Amino acid sequence: MTSDTTRNRGKNRTVSTLMRGAALAGALAAGVGTAAAEPVKFWSQPYGDLLQWQSSLEKNIQAFTAETGIEVDLQIINWSSAFSNWLTVAQGGAAPDCADMFWLYSFSGIGGDKYGPKPINDHRSAWPELDKDFFPGSLTDVNWQGDFYGIPWRVDVRPILVSRTALDEAGLAAAPDNWDEIVAHAKALTKRDDNGNVSRWGYNFGMTNAPQALVPLYWQAGGSFMSDDGKTATIDNDEMRATLQWMHDMIWEHKVVNPDFMEPSYDPQADFVSGNLAMVGSVAPNWGSQLSSQYPELNGSWEMAIAPKGPKNRDTYSGAGYWGVLRGTDKEAECVKLIEFLSQNDQMQSLSEASSAVSPRRSVMASNYWADEPWKKVLSASLEYGRTSQHPSPVWSALVSPKPGSVIYDMMYDALVAQKNIDEVVSAAQVRMQVEMNRSSDN
Amino acid sequence: MRRETLIFCYAMVAPALIFTILLGIYPMLASIRISFLEYDLLRVHTTGTPWVGFENYLRVFNDPKFLQTVVNTGIFTVLAVSGVISLGLLLSQVLNEDYRGRSVVRLLVCVPWFVPPVVASAIWMWLLNTDRSPINYLLMHWGLIDSNIRFLTDREAWGPFSVPMLSVTAVRIWNGLPFVVIFLLAGLQSIPRSLYEAAEMDGASILQKFRYVTLPLLGPVLGVLLMLLVMTGLGHFEINYIMTGGGPQNLTNTMAIYSYQQAFQNWRFDTAAAASGLILILTGIVCIYYIRGQLKKDVR
Repeated sequence: MTSDTTRNRGKNRTVSTLMRGAALAGALAAGVGTAAAEPVKFWSQPYGDLLQWQSSLEKNIQAFTAETGIEVDLQIINWSSAFSNWLTVAQGGAAPDCADMFWLYSFSGIGGDKYGPKPINDHRSAWPELDKDFFPGSLTDVNWQGDFYGIPWRVDVRPILVSRTALDEAGLAAAPDNWDEIVAHAKALTKRDDNGNVSRWGYNFGMTNAPQALVPLYWQAGGSFMSDDGKTATIDNDEMRATLQWMHDMIWEHKVVNPDFMEPSYDPQADFVSGNLAMVGSVAPNWGSQLSSQYPELNGSWEMAIAPKGPKNRDTYSGAGYWGVLRGTDKEAECVKLIEFLSQNDQMQSLSEASSAVSPRRSVMASNYWADEPWKKVLSASLEYGRTSQHPSPVWSALVSPKPGSVIYDMMYDALVAQKNIDEVVSAAQVRMQVEMNRSSDN
Repeated sequence: MRRETLIFCYAMVAPALIFTILLGIYPMLASIRISFLEYDLLRVHTTGTPWVGFENYLRVFNDPKFLQTVVNTGIFTVLAVSGVISLGLLLSQVLNEDYRGRSVVRLLVCVPWFVPPVVASAIWMWLLNTDRSPINYLLMHWGLIDSNIRFLTDREAWGPFSVPMLSVTAVRIWNGLPFVVIFLLAGLQSIPRSLYEAAEMDGASILQKFRYVTLPLLGPVLGVLLMLLVMTGLGHFEINYIMTGGGPQNLTNTMAIYSYQQAFQNWRFDTAAAASGLILILTGIVCIYYIRGQLKKDVR
């Protein structure tokens, strides 16, 4: 009796243990099930009006969830912290599954094959008409070292901005179409008071980021910053000297550009709006929407035109933001589905309208939204001349950083502001640039 | 002390101590460690972070731009500290007197304190913009100048001094003044009136009262202030970075900006950590002097 009871108790304990084990296994399985159902983490920077952008993106994501059953957790990353966020991601910090990203070459270079942007070559066939549907300049921003990383969805293409009022005042019919006309126009548009102080500058090369203004001018002179493999600096040449000499003459010989244009306190947009600046050589598309919405009283007093032609070509500064996948994700397939969904015409149209961002998709740029104002048509036309601002070296963004200390900034400052010998400045910059590029090409 | 009391004291101090260790001491030690490694973001995934000893410090010291930032930081600190303390002493005396409207004046003096340095920098950037500065407009209107003063962009320098350096220093003084005034005002209010009355009976003038009563009794407050201001001066960043980015021609660059540029522009965390390490050493020296002074005083 006693032994039976003991045996029964033992059996009960075994059954109880087995049941507990089964319950635990069930719970674990449920846990795994829950993990599988975890939403795709998607990060995006804000564009244009934050609320409008967020609402549009959320609507598109809800439509995606309704169509596929895949939940998406959207997080908006403020631009003020975007750079440090992506730098952290590229170093192995917390990352989403997929995101709206930029500077593919740099962040891929930093993250290597461990962290950061992940190639999605296996899914390239999901976009069979990509080359036909998208402007070619934007596609170079999503391909690096032979790998395909995602879909471009916005383009920063930069035409010239001119004051219509100033042109009329000077009897000029249209914006300048080449470098010589820029000089002539700028001279005619510069105004001085009785003391010789300039009350309106004729021209500025670009926005506050001075190195970004040099980039298209150097291209237009026929130059290229580095070799195709991204290993050799190629700025010590006649094209760079010609570019810097032309810029130098605009400042010091023709005196039509503010010599303080490289200082952080210089604000060309404020100068343009207040009538102290007549032309800005290379402006981001959002200047158009900002001038339209924030300064309606100026409507009709400004216009955009495609970038003037240089000695060799009309290459225009262009850079694309893209949707891509991050290394470390276990939701690559879901992410690709999401990107595939967002990159359809209707979705890209709505996002382009919500953000006022130029779309790299031809059909969107052919829509009424991008044709209802002359400046919008100019942006579409400029895309044909767009040349990617990214270069095949991860160190590129450090080279053109808009602050003292970067190679291109220092070269421009020495040649254009401090007026040092251009030959020597360019040669020294070439050496510095090569040293910096060797940091990444040693890998 | 009873054991329970001790435990209570430690429990009270523990949260602050934990936060200080996590957010202050640990990052500081990590930064010092990085300064002895090769930590190049562009190479870290291939070469790792090998130990390089003092190589980063040597690179920093061999960079003429860094040496200029050391001089700039010193000049900036001396000018800002002496300016803010001189003005603070003057204003705190004014605020310590009894007169109608004193509260309003006190409030006005404190206003710059309510403005974060980043916002203050943006406001002053506009006020000191060469072409749009209302200061230039007024000076021109009054016939005092015939061409605009380039407050933030003038490249002419007299040794380490330049108009941009003086401009950013003035903004720093403006922004830091309320803190100093409040500190000194508290110190002034703790000086017994009877001491001034005794000095008056001895026939002391206003200046003599200031020299022989106010200054000696404000000594401890001034010591703490001086230490805090020198330390913040040596690590100063935001006003210069926003208003001039360290330019023109490196004239307003400070060690902290140099460190930031190395880390977030050039992606060299190792060089940035070495530059920060030097700031740490300099502020450490200031602290040691102050603590030694305090200890000597306690022994006496």
